[in-house]
Amino acid sequence: MRSLRITAWAVALTTCAIFAGVVLGLAPSMSDSTKWAYPSGFVSLAPAIVGLLIALRQPRNAIAWIMLVGALSAAPFYVFIPDKGWALQFSRAVWPLLYAWPVAVAFVFPDGRLLSRRWRRVAYAGSFCFVGFLIVAMLDNGPFDKPDAAVANPVAGVGHPSWLGWIWIPLWIGILGSLFAGAIAIRLRLRRLTGIERLQTLWIAWVAGLIPLGLVTCFAGWGVGLPFADIALGAIILLMPIAIAVAVGIAVIRYRLYAIERLVNRTAVYGTLTLLLAATYIGITLAAGVAAGRGSAWVTAAATLVVALSFRPLRARVQGIVDRRFDRARSDGLLMVQAFESDVREGVRAPEEIGGVLAEALRDPLADLVFWLPASETYATSAGELVGELPADGRACSEITREGARTAVLLHDPALRERPAPLRDILAAGALSVEIARLRVEVRLQLQEVQASRVRIVEAGYEERRRLERDLHDGAQQRLVSLGLQIRRMQRSLPREASILAPALDQIVGEVGSAIRDLRQIAAGVRPARLDDGLAAALHDLARTLPIPVEVEAPIGRVAASVEAAAYFVVCEALTNTVKHASASRVALSATREDGTLHVCVSDDGVGGAQARRGSGLAGLGDRVSAHGGTLVIASPQGGGTRIEVAIPCGS
Amino acid sequence: MRLVIAEDTVLLREGLAGLLEDAGHDVVARVGDAESLLAVVAEHEPELAIVDVRMPPTYEDEGMKAAAEIRRSHPSTAVLVLSQHIESRHAVDLVGSGGGFGYLLKDRVLDVDEFLEAAQRVSAGGSALDPEVVKHLLTPPKEGDALARLTPRELEVLGLVAEGRTNAGIAKHLWLTEKTVETHVSSILGKLGLSHSAEGHRRVLAVLAYLRASTV
Repeated sequence: MRSLRITAWAVALTTCAIFAGVVLGLAPSMSDSTKWAYPSGFVSLAPAIVGLLIALRQPRNAIAWIMLVGALSAAPFYVFIPDKGWALQFSRAVWPLLYAWPVAVAFVFPDGRLLSRRWRRVAYAGSFCFVGFLIVAMLDNGPFDKPDAAVANPVAGVGHPSWLGWIWIPLWIGILGSLFAGAIAIRLRLRRLTGIERLQTLWIAWVAGLIPLGLVTCFAGWGVGLPFADIALGAIILLMPIAIAVAVGIAVIRYRLYAIERLVNRTAVYGTLTLLLAATYIGITLAAGVAAGRGSAWVTAAATLVVALSFRPLRARVQGIVDRRFDRARSDGLLMVQAFESDVREGVRAPEEIGGVLAEALRDPLADLVFWLPASETYATSAGELVGELPADGRACSEITREGARTAVLLHDPALRERPAPLRDILAAGALSVEIARLRVEVRLQLQEVQASRVRIVEAGYEERRRLERDLHDGAQQRLVSLGLQIRRMQRSLPREASILAPALDQIVGEVGSAIRDLRQIAAGVRPARLDDGLAAALHDLARTLPIPVEVEAPIGRVAASVEAAAYFVVCEALTNTVKHASASRVALSATREDGTLHVCVSDDGVGGAQARRGSGLAGLGDRVSAHGGTLVIASPQGGGTRIEVAIPCGS
Repeated sequence: MRLVIAEDTVLLREGLAGLLEDAGHDVVARVGDAESLLAVVAEHEPELAIVDVRMPPTYEDEGMKAAAEIRRSHPSTAVLVLSQHIESRHAVDLVGSGGGFGYLLKDRVLDVDEFLEAAQRVSAGGSALDPEVVKHLLTPPKEGDALARLTPRELEVLGLVAEGRTNAGIAKHLWLTEKTVETHVSSILGKLGLSHSAEGHRRVLAVLAYLRASTV
């Protein structure tokens, strides 16, 4: 790094020293023909100084080195060549190098790399033209211009094929072409870049845009006979490298200094306006001059009036066009958001897509929109996932508000903050869609919560039944058994003469036994203990207790206990109905599991006509099934048997 | 008979122990959970372990698992499982898997003589299956089923065979002579297509295997 900085100093100082030498009259070969050494030496100071400033801050910045080396190559070193002939020859040949480095900078600005592999060919072609032109110019064996016509051309004796006479023309066109290619490269960059790099490139584009504007203005002035137009033209051509060097310097070192977007915008508006008004004025003067005679005060007055009157409307028009052209990112983004909103209104797209649309409109693919849920004071994604804390991943957060209340937060590239106006406008344009999406997400989440709490309630109820059943078995039933046992022991220990009590005690124990059986029945209704072995086993057991033949097909493993219970009770109810009302001769019972869903089907060949009336057993079971997110379908045409199908999600 | 009792309800455990001691049996250990049960079985190697199905900590089927474990690791110890309710599948599987295993509803202990007889039978290598479970196995007889060809009396006898009773036990239970019972049994075996040569406990296993195959 240190050696790079020292080298930068050395290169820049050499360039400065050359200019100083020229100014101080230390150059031995200075003459009228080489007087261009003054301006070219002066012009090469700018890239040398800017290149040095950049290199000192960022020694590996390719732009800095292009400028440093470019400045040195364009500096009038040739006036220090003692041989006057060679000095003149160099002076004729190297001047295009003044424009070589700006082209190179345009190709690789701002990251020091070419746009793509294809641009490498363009760069090679450009380099070829510059170098080729230099060589051809050095081989020029023609005599020198007036004051030095007597100086002998050092290459006069070298063989000179005829094509050397015209080959410079295509090379020159190539050089001009590479200037254009540089402009195109900058244009393409502007389309792709975002954030800081875009702002940096905008500086270059602004300066590059000033040049043709200046040229056209000067040509126009020259055309209508304005004084000093030709001098201004020469100055612009000469000052172009300086302006570009300064622009590069600002872009790299101080890009935050000025609002470049506004500068570009205003320049474009007033430049265009000036051109249009000048054209109008000239047009009217020429046209009316033919009719009313040249130099008429009326013509001048009329032309001035027209120009003055058309200023305001023309300015508004041009401003609109320029806004669209130059702030394309903003207007494109706004259009995109507006188009989305009308799509939402027509029901073509879902409001939840607004996050993606905003990301696209702001050209930040990593942007994420999270909706604010004031009730729970949390954020949620459009998919309904809760986001407790906003991620601290270096992204900036911009709030979206509606009627003063926060509706969402956009997490985005902090670089977007560099241009607050488009960000603010695009977010404001999407605010309505954001609010709609937020409400939808909120409602969906609330529904999910209701659904979840329903399942929790059913499961809690199931747990409660399970506890009750256990209490019945392990509490009351156990105590009755031990009570009976105590009576039995007492009975057996009674003396012989008390055997008269035996029948009474037997009866008591019998009562205890039937109380136990009653309890067992009750417990089974609360939660069938036969479910302990799983639904399949319980269905087989259940089928055996029925007075009509039941075909059971249940190739299923275990599923969640509450799902098993729900399915079991539906089957119980269905079978009870069948036995009571259907006059069926046989029943088919199947339980299968497919894609995470438990399907249970009970069908009989009875009279049909069953309905899940409100408050009926089947309707209650339907509620229980839907609490698990399942469905219960009853098909029972009159005389066509009854078929009850249940599908309950049971996980995989 | 030396035995251990595993039952978490103290009142019932003590009552049961007292009943068995009154009948002249030697209750060598009384425990309240499956882990202690396995420990005392390993320590005392009793002839019989009376085990409650539901015990701490989960009150699911600890007793059932412990019973299977005892039959595997201590073949000389028979197991009589007591349950509050019917779990026919497990019961039939375990009782049908070999001798020395019994499964009864808890309130069967109130019929003291039958209970003691079942305990004796199991500890002697026989089996005991609760009548409630047997009823499940026998009903309802399906059309074309061999069971449907049995007379009501024969079904009754078949049930008692499935419960694990001997001919003598069945005769006593039904107030019949042993000879009559034998006639019924050979008629049943014939109708079901089972071998007549099977005697004693092997006959019970054959019947259970038949019932299990025909119903589940």
